[in-house]
Amino acid sequence: MRNSNWLFDVTETIHSLGIILVAGTIMLVDLRLLGKGLRAEPVSHVVARIVPWTLSGFALMFVTGAWLFASEATKLYRSPAFRVKLILLALVGLNALIFHLTIYRSAAEWDDVRIAPLRARIAGWCSLILWIGIIAAGRSIAYGPGYDG
Amino acid sequence: MREALFPFFNWLGHTPLAEIIRSSAALIALGEIIHLIGLVLLAGTVLMVDMAMLGFGIRRHPVARIAAELDGWAKAGLVILLVSGPLLLTSEARKCWDASFFWIKMAVLVAAIVFHFAVYRRTALADPPASRIRAGTVAVISLVLWISVALAGKMIGIYGDDLRQPGEPVDLAAAATSRTAIAPASQTGNPPTYRQVSANTAMKTKVKIQRSATEDRTSFRYQAR
Repeated sequence: MRNSNWLFDVTETIHSLGIILVAGTIMLVDLRLLGKGLRAEPVSHVVARIVPWTLSGFALMFVTGAWLFASEATKLYRSPAFRVKLILLALVGLNALIFHLTIYRSAAEWDDVRIAPLRARIAGWCSLILWIGIIAAGRSIAYGPGYDG
Repeated sequence: MREALFPFFNWLGHTPLAEIIRSSAALIALGEIIHLIGLVLLAGTVLMVDMAMLGFGIRRHPVARIAAELDGWAKAGLVILLVSGPLLLTSEARKCWDASFFWIKMAVLVAAIVFHFAVYRRTALADPPASRIRAGTVAVISLVLWISVALAGKMIGIYGDDLRQPGEPVDLAAAATSRTAIAPASQTGNPPTYRQVSANTAMKTKVKIQRSATEDRTSFRYQAR
C-alpha cells in the first residue's frame, strides 16, 4: 500500500470524511442529552435511531484507520498527536460504556425530559469535547513532529 | 473568470493575514480543525434530517419538527465553514487558483447553498409535509451535493493540478509576481513546483509529496523513496 499512492489517498479520503458519520451523528445524541437539540424526541428513541449510524461509521473508521496505520506504522508510532488520539479514543469509549452501564439504565424515568439529568449531561459534554479533541489530534498528526522524519 | 480572478488570488496570497497564517503550522492546523468541526456540524445535521426525510433515522415526530430543531446547528456549521474556509484560502491562494478541484468545489458549493436555502429547507420545514417522493428526491440531491463539496475539498489537497494541463510548466509571468509559483527546475535550478511533483506522482515515479507544515503552502517539498 505504501507504494500505491492512489489507494492510500482513497483510504485517507474515506477516513477523513467518515468523521462526519461518527462525530456528526453522536454529536446529535450529545446535543439531545444537553437539551440543545431534538428536545421533542425521547432520549431512548434518539439513541436507538442514531447510535447505529455512529457505530457503522466507527467500524468504517476503524478499518480504514487500521489500514492507514499499517502503511505508516513506524512514523505514527513516533507521532505524539497519534498517541493523544488513541488515548482520547479510549476515553470516548470508556465514557460511552459508563453512560450505558449507569445513568442510561434508568433512561425510562427521564426519557421525555427536555434536559437530561446531570450525570447524562456530563456524559454528553465529555463526548462532545473528546470528539473535538479526536478531530484536532487526528488533523494534527500531519503537522506534528515525527511525521515527516 | 478564473484568469480574471488571478490578480485577486495573487493579492490575497500576499496580504499580511495570509503571511501570518502561512508562517505558523499551528495556525494552519487550527484553521483546518475548525473547518472540519464546521463540516461535522453541518453534514451531521443535514445527514440526519435527510435520513428522516427518506424514512430512516428519527421518525417519532414529523420531519419539519426535527428539521426545525436542527436548523440552527446546520446554520452554525455553515457559518464556521464560511469563516474558516476563506481564511485557509488566503494562506494558499495561489495553490487553490492552480487546482481544478478548488474551482469544482466552489461551483458545487454555490449550487449546494442555493439548493439548501431555496429548496431543501422549504421542503424539510414544510407543514403539511411534502410528499414522500418529493422529500426523498430533495434529500438525495442535498446529500449528493454536500458530499461532493466535501470530496472536492479533500481532492484539493490530494491532487492540486490544473486538470486542463496537468504538469505543464507554470506561467512564468505569473511566477514572477508570486512566490508560490516557481519556474521549472530546468530553467532556474529551483526545486520542482507542487504541480510538477504531483505530475510526477501521477506518472508513478517514486516521489512522495511531503505533507509537512508551512512549506506545503508555498512550494511542496518532496522526497525520493
